[in-house]
Amino acid sequence: MKRRSFLSTLGAVASAAMIGAPAMAEDLEKVSLRLKWLPQAQFVGFYMAKAKGYYADEGLDLTINPGGPNLLTENLVATGSDTFGLSGGTDSVFAAIEKGLPITCIGIAHQETPFVFVSKADGPVQELADFQDASITTWFTGANYVLYAMLAANGLDRSTMNIQPQQVSVTPFVDGQVDVVTATRYNEYYTLMTRVGEENLKRFVPEDFGVSFPRDTLIVGNDWAAEHPELVQGFVRASVKGWLDTFADKGAAIDLILKEAPTLDRAHQEFMLDEIEKIMMAGAAATDGLFAIDMDAVGKAHQIMVDYEVLEGPIDLGKAFDSQYVDAIPAAERLPK
Amino acid sequence: MTAVPAPAGSFPAARRFGAVLPLLRGVLALAAVLAAVELIVIALGIRPYVLPRPSAVFEAILRTPAAYRDAIIRTGLETLYGFAAGALFGIGIGIAFSRLRFLRETVFPIFIVSQTIPVIAFGALVVMWFGNTILAKSVIVFYLTFFPVTVNTLLGMRAVDQKQVQLLKSFGASEGEILRKLRFPTALPHIFVALRISSALGLAGAVVGEWFGDTTGLGVLLLQGMYAENMVAIWASVFCSALLGVALFSAIGFAERRIVFWGGSDA
Amino acid sequence: MSTDPMAPSRHALARGIFGGVALFLVWELVARGFDLPSYILPAVSEIVARIWTARAALGNAAAYTLGESVAGYLLGGAIGVGLALCVTLVPPLRKVIVPAATAVNSVPVVAFSPLILLWFGMGMTSKIVMVAVAVSFTMFVSALAGFDRVDERSVNLMRSFGASRAAILWKLRLPTALPLVLSGMRLSTVRSLIVAIVTEMLGAYGGLGWVIYQAVVVIDFVQVWAAIFIASLASLAFFGLVSWMERRLVFWR
Repeated sequence: MKRRSFLSTLGAVASAAMIGAPAMAEDLEKVSLRLKWLPQAQFVGFYMAKAKGYYADEGLDLTINPGGPNLLTENLVATGSDTFGLSGGTDSVFAAIEKGLPITCIGIAHQETPFVFVSKADGPVQELADFQDASITTWFTGANYVLYAMLAANGLDRSTMNIQPQQVSVTPFVDGQVDVVTATRYNEYYTLMTRVGEENLKRFVPEDFGVSFPRDTLIVGNDWAAEHPELVQGFVRASVKGWLDTFADKGAAIDLILKEAPTLDRAHQEFMLDEIEKIMMAGAAATDGLFAIDMDAVGKAHQIMVDYEVLEGPIDLGKAFDSQYVDAIPAAERLPK
Repeated sequence: MTAVPAPAGSFPAARRFGAVLPLLRGVLALAAVLAAVELIVIALGIRPYVLPRPSAVFEAILRTPAAYRDAIIRTGLETLYGFAAGALFGIGIGIAFSRLRFLRETVFPIFIVSQTIPVIAFGALVVMWFGNTILAKSVIVFYLTFFPVTVNTLLGMRAVDQKQVQLLKSFGASEGEILRKLRFPTALPHIFVALRISSALGLAGAVVGEWFGDTTGLGVLLLQGMYAENMVAIWASVFCSALLGVALFSAIGFAERRIVFWGGSDA
Repeated sequence: MSTDPMAPSRHALARGIFGGVALFLVWELVARGFDLPSYILPAVSEIVARIWTARAALGNAAAYTLGESVAGYLLGGAIGVGLALCVTLVPPLRKVIVPAATAVNSVPVVAFSPLILLWFGMGMTSKIVMVAVAVSFTMFVSALAGFDRVDERSVNLMRSFGASRAAILWKLRLPTALPLVLSGMRLSTVRSLIVAIVTEMLGAYGGLGWVIYQAVVVIDFVQVWAAIFIASLASLAFFGLVSWMERRLVFWR
C-alpha cells in the first residue's frame, strides 16, 4: 500500500512536470559547446547568445563547457562528448584531420594570428634581422612554426638562433634575461603592458612579415552534422548574433563574463575584448563578416605545417573546412550595423 | 591536536572552551605569521609578482567572496563524495582481501600499478566517460583515496592478536562476529591513519579534476590565476585550499577521537 | 602502511602475472572487438609496438623525469628527516614545526605548482622542488613517528650513563626509527614520479609529462599511452629498488 501510493505520487509529479514544462523545453535539442579554455572575454559572444536565448530560438538547449590544459577540443567533439567545439585553431584542425578524427571546421573566429613577438623598445632587438643574435622564447605548440616561417620568409636562418621554449611566465623577459618573448595579443601582452609599459614594448606582428595563422576554429562532429544540418546552421546563426551583440554593447558583455567568472580582472577583460574584436573582424571578416573561412589564409597556414613536417603530407582542406553554414548567412547579417 | 581531557559532562562550558582553545591558538598563530610576512614583504620591497602582501590577497578574496565561497563548497563536495566512496570501497575491499587470498594475489598487484598512473594524462578520457559532472571529479578523488585505505585496512585486519581470535573461537564466536568485534576494531586506528593521508591526496585529485573543463572550484581559480600571471589570485586560491585541507584533516581527527577511543594512532 | 601486509603464498607471483595478463587480454579484446579508435582506447599491442619504435625518445624522457624525481626525492627525504631530527633534538620546536607542517601538507601539492613554476622556471629545478615538497611531509611524519617509538626507559637509562642527546640519537633513536623511515621512503617513490610528471605537463623542456603534453597537442594518443606505460614501469622500478634496499638495510636487525 505504502509503495503504491509512493509510485502514484511519483507518477503525478512526473506528469505535472511534463504539463508544466512544455513551453520552454519543447523539442529543444540538447547540445554542448566545448571551449578551448576557461571562461573569459575571448569567448563571451557565445555566453551572450545563450543569455539572450538565441540558441533556444534555433531549437538548441546549449551547455557551454570550458576547456583546460591537456584537454583537446577536437577529441571531445570527435567522440561525441561535445557537439560543437571552439578548438585551438587551424593547426589543431589539420592535425585532427590527419589523424582521422571525424570533425569538420565550420567557421574561423580569429582571422589573423592572435599572438605577436615582443621585444623592448630600448633593447637590442629593433628589427627582425636582430633576432639573429637575440635570445628568443616561444611556445613549442604551434607558435614556433609561425616564427620559423616569419624568419624564413625574410631570409633569416633560424638554425643559428637561440630559440627556447617559453614558460608560463613573462618574468624572464621583464627581467631582461630574454630579448624576445611570445605573447597573445589579449593575454600575455596585457601582462607585459602592465609590467613594462606599452611605450617600452616593440611588437613584431606575423602578418607584417607575410605570415598568417588563423586560430580559434568552430568545429562539429561529422555524423551529427550530417543528421542535423539545420541545427548546425542554427548554432552558427545564433553564435554570430551573440558576437555582434557583444561588440555592440561591450559593457554588458563584460558584466556577463564577470558573472560567469567573478575573480577575473575587469580591466584585463575589457582590454581582451577590444583585442578579440580586432582579431575577429580582421582579414576576410572585414568584408565577409564574422566566422568567415578564408581558404587563402588557411592554405598558407597549412603550407607552413607541411613545410616544417608537422604534417606528414598535405591534407584535403576542402573536406576539413566547410563554409556552407557561414556562407548561408548573408554577409550583411554577419557584420556590425 | 591537544584534546583536553576534561571530566566528561561536568563543566560543559569549560569543555567547550577546551575545544575552542586550540582553534583560537591556531588562528592567532596564523595571524602572527601573516602579519610577519606582510612586514617582510614591505620592508624588503619584494615585488608583488614574486610574493604579494597577504593583505592584498585577503582584499582579493573579499572583493568577490561569493566566488571563493562557491569554489570551496564545490571542491569540498567533490572531495567529500569521492573520499567517502574511496573510504568505503577501500575498507570493503581490504576486508575482502584479508579473507580471500586468491582475490588479493590477483587483484592487488593491479591496484599497485594503477597508482603509478598520473590521472592528469587522462583528462579527455575522464570527460568522455563521466562527462563534465561532479561525478567525474569524485571519480578521480576516489581513484586517489581508495588505495591507502585498502592497504591499511588489510594491515589492520592482520594486526589482530591470534590468541584473542582463538579465545573468541573457543567461546563459539562465528567468523562474522570475530570480524565485527575484534578484527575491525583493531584495524580502525590503521584505517584512520590512511584516511588522514587520503584526505590531502583526495583534495589534490579534486583540484586536478577541475582542470578538465569546469566553471567553479579552487582548481579553476588556480588555473585562471596561473595563466593570467595573477599572483594575488593564485595565493587566494592556495589559501582557500589550505583552509579546506585543514578542515578535512581536523574533521577526520575529530571523528577518530570520537570513534577510536580505545587506542592511539600508532601505525 | 609499514611492512608487507603478509607473506605471499607460493602462487603469489603466478597469480599477480595472471591478473596482469587477464587485464591486458580484456583490454585488447575490447579495443579490437569494438574497433575503438585510438582517441578512445588504443589496443595494448599497438601501445607496445609504439614503445618499441619510439624507444629512444621515450627512454630519454623517462631518464629526464627519473632524474628529477630522484633528485627531488632525496632532497625531500633529507628535509623531512632533518626536520624530524630537529624536532627530536630541540623539543620546544615541536609545537611550532608540527602544526606548520600539517597546515602546509593539507594544501594539495598541485596548488603550489603555479607558484613554483613562476619562481623556479620551466627547467628541472621547478620539478625537483615540487617533488621535494611532496615527499618531505610524508618523510617528516614517518621519521617523527619512528624517533618517537623509542622506549623512554632506554633513553633514561642511556642518559643516566651520561650519554649526550646526540649519542642517544645515533645509538638508539636512529636504528629504531629506520624501518619506519624506510617504509616512508618506499611510499614516496610513486608519488615523486607522478608529481614530476604533472608538473612537466604544466611547463617543461623535457620528460615524460612533456611528451604526453606534446602528444596531446598533435593528437597522438598511442604516444600518450606509450608514455604512461613507461611512466608506470619507471615507478614500479623505483618502488622495487627502494623496497629491495629496505629489505637489505633492515635485515641485519
